[in-house]
Amino acid sequence: MLKVENLSISFRTDEGLITPVQDIAFEVQPGRTLGIVGESGSGKSISTKALMQLLPGNGIISSEAKILYTDKSGKTRDINRLGKKGRAIRHIRGGEIGMIFQEPMASFSPVYTIGNQMVEAIRLHRNVGRKDARRIAVEMLDKVGISNPEARVDQYPHEMSGGMRQRAMIALALSAGPALLIADEPTTALDVTIQAQVLELMRNLQRDLSMGMIFITHDLGVISHIADDVAVMYLGTIVERGPTDKVIHEPAHPYTQGLIKALPSVDRLHDRLTPIPGDIPSPNDRPTGCPFHTRCTKVIAGLCDQHQPQILQVGEDHTVRCFLHEKQQRASA
Amino acid sequence: MLRFTLERLVGMIVTMVLVSMMVFLIMEIPPGDYADRYAFRKYSGTGIAITEADIEAIRHDFGLDKPMALRYVDWIGNIVLHGDFGQAFAFETDVTKVIGDKVWLTMAILFGTLLLTYLIAIPIGIYAAVRRASFADYGLTIFSYLGLALPNFLLALILLYFVNLWFGADIGGLFSTGMSDAPWSFAKAWDLIKHLWLPAFVLAWSAVAYQIQTIRATMSDELNKLSVTAARARGVPETKLLIKYPARLAINPVVSTIGFDVNRIFSELPIVAVVLGLTELGELLLNAYLDLDMYVAGAILLMLTFVIVLMNFISDLLLAWLDPRIKLGSN
Ligand SMILES: Nc1ncnc2c1ncn2[C@@H]1O[C@H](COP(=O)(O)OP(=O)(O)O)[C@@H](O)[C@H]1O
Ligand SMILES: [Mg+2]
Repeated sequence: MLKVENLSISFRTDEGLITPVQDIAFEVQPGRTLGIVGESGSGKSISTKALMQLLPGNGIISSEAKILYTDKSGKTRDINRLGKKGRAIRHIRGGEIGMIFQEPMASFSPVYTIGNQMVEAIRLHRNVGRKDARRIAVEMLDKVGISNPEARVDQYPHEMSGGMRQRAMIALALSAGPALLIADEPTTALDVTIQAQVLELMRNLQRDLSMGMIFITHDLGVISHIADDVAVMYLGTIVERGPTDKVIHEPAHPYTQGLIKALPSVDRLHDRLTPIPGDIPSPNDRPTGCPFHTRCTKVIAGLCDQHQPQILQVGEDHTVRCFLHEKQQRASA
Repeated sequence: MLRFTLERLVGMIVTMVLVSMMVFLIMEIPPGDYADRYAFRKYSGTGIAITEADIEAIRHDFGLDKPMALRYVDWIGNIVLHGDFGQAFAFETDVTKVIGDKVWLTMAILFGTLLLTYLIAIPIGIYAAVRRASFADYGLTIFSYLGLALPNFLLALILLYFVNLWFGADIGGLFSTGMSDAPWSFAKAWDLIKHLWLPAFVLAWSAVAYQIQTIRATMSDELNKLSVTAARARGVPETKLLIKYPARLAINPVVSTIGFDVNRIFSELPIVAVVLGLTELGELLLNAYLDLDMYVAGAILLMLTFVIVLMNFISDLLLAWLDPRIKLGSN
């Protein structure tokens, strides 16, 4: 339902043009969840904002980028050709693609009730009157597990707890009936116990409504719970992509391998965790060659620090950007 | 909202009581009282010798011999119960008659100025923030710094000069010649509006410049809020989005300074009034003080402070309506 190709994102800044996302590609299948995992600053949020033309004024999407979206009626359009304003993109925003953000408090306007903001979204995308919109809003709040929705609908965001607000945010995004839901670290700001509940809720809703979903997180542990496919991002590029099972059990990129080693697991509970050494470089001065070579334990001098590796197939639907596999493939050929 | 309104209403009444006491005290501060002044006026140069007993009699006639607390209660009681502000000694008539029209003219200038300030500053400030770093934005910024730098009596003189040059009309004052004494009619009201824009513009000038800067800054902040992006991500059309989400909060600092603006307009009005030849309360207040005509001075002070307190009350209610979180904080 969504196919992204050649997506690069730049920003005009006081220090000149920076390009924090370089040439990424991914796909979301209807009814499936794509997880995007990567450290903070790797470009996850801006990549998904670009999908809805929501970048700030100084942001530029590369002109060769294709963001092909197939809507509910089966028509395919390139969102990169739609521009930031106008009917076409407004129809997609909310009505076709819904979005949930990390900070549930900040994503609501504090001066309108939950119901006001839900009714607005519902009436923008569904042809219903005020009364029906309100009924849909109450049903939706009920669906996301908010008790006493008739009363809650008239509350302001500050009258709710953090977990409840995120549930309400999910209800708000879903109330307009999107076919694809983008969730940008929806559980990061929540308490651990509530995190698990919200995660569970999102998985169930995605299944019940058979939506496509993009789930962003910096925590690979969360990915295995929710995503069918995963894209691993590092410093603005997708270094590995494939079905979640494959990527977790047969990680092909040294970065993914490092992330998995850093995961706490039951059988290694008493071992020390091995975090990836080194710091993530600033997106303003990306290393030449493979962006990960500065921290990679398997770096090949003269190659990784000079050239950008190409995308290689390492299994069915499983791709990686790493010279190690290029060598292996060449050797076996 | 009802509870909040009641709370603020009680607060306003308490403030008014305290203010009225202060006003009364201020009336008492100048040495001597109107009885001395009256005796001096009436008998000086007539050769009639007046005794302390004569002055005491005058004092008694005017009710000035009662204790201060009692005079305060009489004074405020008559105002609240009968709308009677007492005697204007120097004019030998009621205070209400002396002040009468001038109150409404002062109010017309005040509200004209406020209206003009907000009608100009709010849309322009929002526009500058939305078009941030554009040619229009820089132009407006330069203009508003100019606005802050130019004293308004100077502006009044300059405008008066050009308006006279271009229109040749007697644009100074609040009415055309002959109109000021005419009974109120539609033509007279229209004549007032035609004259009102000039003082309103002069008095609004610096506030407009200041408020444009404020709104531009708060609007820029609000525009960057996640809730605005979130609303945009739901497909809310841009114009509706700007008004409903960021603009509503961006005008908060303007609303919260309404009382401050009123205060400033009252303080700047007398100078502008002199330059533009307006009849308003300021000059009367000054004369009343010089004449020790305390009930006239008191009535004017009371009315001006009452308007300030009332506008603060309205500003509080507006703020609570604009941002419901405020009500929660008060409980
Ligand atoms: N408005 C902006 N102006 C300039 N650079 C930006 C802007 N927004 C994001 N960036 C750059 O993009 C990088 C990636 O941001 P983001 O997508 O938010 O990362 P993530 O969501 O993975 O933590 C940031 O580190 C920053 O350098
Ligand atoms: Mg992010």
